[in-house]
Amino acid sequence: MKKEQYSIVVDNVYKTFNVFLDKSNTIKESLLSLFKRNQREKRVVLDGVSLNVKKGECVALIGVNGSGKSTLLKLMTKIIYPNKGKIITNGKLTSLLELGAGFHPDFSGRENIYFNASIFGLTKKEIDERLDQIIEFSELGSYIDNPVRTYSSGMYMRLAFSVAINVDAEILLVDEILSVGDQHFQEKCLNKMKELRNEGKTMVFVTHSMGQVKELCNRAIWLCDGKIKMDGKPNEVVEAYIEGTR
Amino acid sequence: MNIFKNLYEYRELLKTSVKKDVRGKYKNSFLGVLWSFLNPLLQIAVYAFVFDKILGAGEPNYAVFICCGLIPWTFFSAAVNRCAYTMIENGGIIKKVFFPREILPISVVTAEAVNFVISSVIIVCFVLLNGLGFYWTWIFYPILLMVLYFFLIAISFFVSSITVYFRDLQHFIGVVLQLLFYATPIAYASSRVPSQFSWVVKLNPVAYVIEGFRSIFIFHSIPDLLPLIIIVGISLFFCFIGYLVFSKLQKGFAEEL
Repeated sequence: MKKEQYSIVVDNVYKTFNVFLDKSNTIKESLLSLFKRNQREKRVVLDGVSLNVKKGECVALIGVNGSGKSTLLKLMTKIIYPNKGKIITNGKLTSLLELGAGFHPDFSGRENIYFNASIFGLTKKEIDERLDQIIEFSELGSYIDNPVRTYSSGMYMRLAFSVAINVDAEILLVDEILSVGDQHFQEKCLNKMKELRNEGKTMVFVTHSMGQVKELCNRAIWLCDGKIKMDGKPNEVVEAYIEGTR
Repeated sequence: MNIFKNLYEYRELLKTSVKKDVRGKYKNSFLGVLWSFLNPLLQIAVYAFVFDKILGAGEPNYAVFICCGLIPWTFFSAAVNRCAYTMIENGGIIKKVFFPREILPISVVTAEAVNFVISSVIIVCFVLLNGLGFYWTWIFYPILLMVLYFFLIAISFFVSSITVYFRDLQHFIGVVLQLLFYATPIAYASSRVPSQFSWVVKLNPVAYVIEGFRSIFIFHSIPDLLPLIIIVGISLFFCFIGYLVFSKLQKGFAEEL
């Protein structure tokens, strides 16, 4: 087994969250809570999950709310870290978990493209090269030089999505964001995702739209209570999922 | 060390966040960047009046004297104070996007350093207005700035990461900074401190930097270099320790915020 053929290797990952009944934020409270340890509860979110994502695979994570899909995605981006197990990623990774992170409302759309793209680790030169493409994709036209606070929420999301999608990462992690803008823009986004998939990018999706799963992905994983319940062809997994949650 | 690779890869993020910080501060305000001068000028006027006219500090060129103390101090206290809040302010991004977290405290300190350089125009104006003139000792200005910068980076790693877990630290820092203001020779000369308290000033790194600014601008002499070199050495050591602490603590940021 060669490691290079995998984009993401998740090896027996175990993650718990502390659920504080009364979260201690001060030294005094945390000293006091030393004596009453039982105030905190551990909730297992991921319980020994292992999966390998091959290069160029397009994987959908499905499952009911609270099944650990988003947590798994966050672990892959290294926003949070597992309690046990290992996660290895090969290649430049971009997460589309939050759109418009780092936007400053008082600056123009153009300046905010620089702020936002730099969070994804792009250099000035790389952003310059993509600038026209990003503006064109966002369809903002002359609004691009207006402050972002004057944008409608649709325009805001369109700009944010355009930046994220044009980062040129090898691995894309997407969390329920394909509901951006109007029908026309949504279709455009979906087409862009297909284009990226055909270019051989690795993608991991979290979505509740079973239509998108079937249309876009070539593998689906059903998470249930922090465990993988089913892993296979999108059609079969979606069917079983709909059957199982009915 | 991972930090240099990260900083290099994310240099654009560091640059834009410093830019956003410096320029965003006065965006939409009528007087804009003028506030960078008005704020310290007003402070200098008040201190000069209270300490010189009422209490009789008795230093020649007192306006320049307090200027050399107050403007570096503002840099120091603003940077420390803001580092305590930077993670909480940026909680939204931290929870959603991966990027090297150390960018945040470093960009706060760097942005405040840029503000300091802008405010230094005031020092130059006061120096020239008081007829002290240009002097070759001014070439030590960037060195003094670097000393304070490294010292602040070391502090920022500790302060920014620990406050995430203990919010009390923010308030504690406020109190400590207030005490430090009087324990640092800003409104008075360090030579006036009674000998039984002189250790307070001797152990204070900021005091050496402020005295350094005074020697180059007022007394036209070379700053006391040995303590400055020692401060840089200690700072670099604590930058290293601070970074280790920071990288250990940053793993839990997204869950704590």
